[in-house]
Amino acid sequence: MKVNTEKISFDEPLNLKSGEVLHGFDLMTETYGELSDAKDNAVLVCHAFSGNHHAAGKKDGEKKPGWWDELIGDGKTIDTKKFFVVALNNIGGCHGSTGPATTENKLNQHNGANFPEVSVSDWVKTQKLLADHFGIDCWEMVAGGSLGGMQALQWGISYPDKVKKVAIIAASSKISTQNIALNEVAREIIRKDENFHNGDYLSKEVSPKKGLKAARMLGHITYLSESNMSKRFGRRLQDPDNKIDADVNYEVENYLQYKGEQFANTFDANSYILMTKAMDSFDPAKDFDNDLVKCLKTIKAKLLIVSFDSDWLFPKEYGVEIQMSAIKAGINSSYIELEGDYGHDSFLFYSEKYSAALKNFLNSDG
Amino acid sequence: MDSTLQKIVLDWIPSQSKVIDFGCGDGILLKILSEQKSITGYGVENDPDKINACIINGVSVIQQDIDAGIHNYKGMGFDVAVMASSIQCLRKPKDAMKNILKVANECVITLPNFGNWELRLGILNGKMPSSDQLPAKWYETKNLHLCTIADFEELCSEESFVIKKKVYLNRKGKSSWLANRLPNLFAAQAVYLIG
Repeated sequence: MKVNTEKISFDEPLNLKSGEVLHGFDLMTETYGELSDAKDNAVLVCHAFSGNHHAAGKKDGEKKPGWWDELIGDGKTIDTKKFFVVALNNIGGCHGSTGPATTENKLNQHNGANFPEVSVSDWVKTQKLLADHFGIDCWEMVAGGSLGGMQALQWGISYPDKVKKVAIIAASSKISTQNIALNEVAREIIRKDENFHNGDYLSKEVSPKKGLKAARMLGHITYLSESNMSKRFGRRLQDPDNKIDADVNYEVENYLQYKGEQFANTFDANSYILMTKAMDSFDPAKDFDNDLVKCLKTIKAKLLIVSFDSDWLFPKEYGVEIQMSAIKAGINSSYIELEGDYGHDSFLFYSEKYSAALKNFLNSDG
Repeated sequence: MDSTLQKIVLDWIPSQSKVIDFGCGDGILLKILSEQKSITGYGVENDPDKINACIINGVSVIQQDIDAGIHNYKGMGFDVAVMASSIQCLRKPKDAMKNILKVANECVITLPNFGNWELRLGILNGKMPSSDQLPAKWYETKNLHLCTIADFEELCSEESFVIKKKVYLNRKGKSSWLANRLPNLFAAQAVYLIG
């Protein structure tokens, strides 16, 4: 599989939904496979809340491959022998694209807590500029899970003629009240870290890692299902030799501590707040008199909506809601409900039926 | 769905209409309808393998249990609802019939006739009968409410479901003199347009 990691700079000003302007920005990108001469085999994969441009393959020194490695690669569900797959880190993120933690500040750019609010439709706008950069007129498919699924849906709405198929996986057309509440608890945990300094921690050369870690621990619970946690950890006590912390009793505690710690070392607190806010505010129907049917009528692409039965963060009712609105709107759309062992995170992992659905959809006639 | 039956259904469904097919299987009927009559079609199916077949066929499909979900499709602007050989698989066929007529202006229903002589002979033999239309063994069949043509038409008249058109087909899937003369005995299946 041909892999190309590249930071691409865009000089034009980007008018954000919030009314603010980004005077130029960088996108960290990674591509897999090769773009055909006709440039008609391109697939865009959009990352979820904490994802990034590294979607597939394993780099030297890495413990784990990219976040969608089980599905992207030579001969895999999204076959890189056939398709040119584009992944990127969204603006506002913290893995190389312009965001709160970037310091290059080449064109009067905000940083830190002053980084402007970004929305899902802003990300899609930058992804369109990225398509233009590659000379891709129309994506064969835009796909994503969770917050990535929201971007896929937004693609169909924002650029109806520029995408043929849209795969919305473990996502919704807007998140639930409970999700907003959970996000706010996570944000509050970060804000209350003594090193947060109203988001201005970088200039003080500190980092609100404790807050970030605890926020991630809470988030992580919501990504898994109860049965998955029981199966994986049960009530087993943590082996004393491998305790991350003396206070830890159970394996599940140790696991969350470890995952939280790992995350806090690689993620930026302002990005966390910005990403969750973008998720909270996503509601494309708002621009169409709060009528999702009217909103979906703008879509020309074929939709595939996938829900997982063990996902309680984005339960299947949200997938069904998009599908029923799509039927009312008379657009081409299919809905499938899959067994997933991993709760909300099921979208990240290969399963036979999941792979078959996505593969058949991607390879069906446009 | 065999060719005679398919031709009848194709004839009855108007061009450009919005069609919902309950128990759509691999979606082949919707695919043919969209190719030949430019319909906008949606299938409802609960079997993941069949849903995958629909996706391969490029047919829009929703995974749902028909009994639980049929009433959700009211007010969605469907012109025609199709229920091909699936009414007898439902837990509440009468309620489903009432609901289906609220979902669409008209519905096409195909029915395996349990009154067919071959099946009657099977019963006389003292065993649950099987036929081309009803091949499954009693312990693996999805059919919960098998009925005869006479039973079904009695329900329609009791519930004032108007049968606008009907065709009786013999074991070979063809319209025949015998099947039309004594449908309850000689027809293997019936096709109805109900409004």
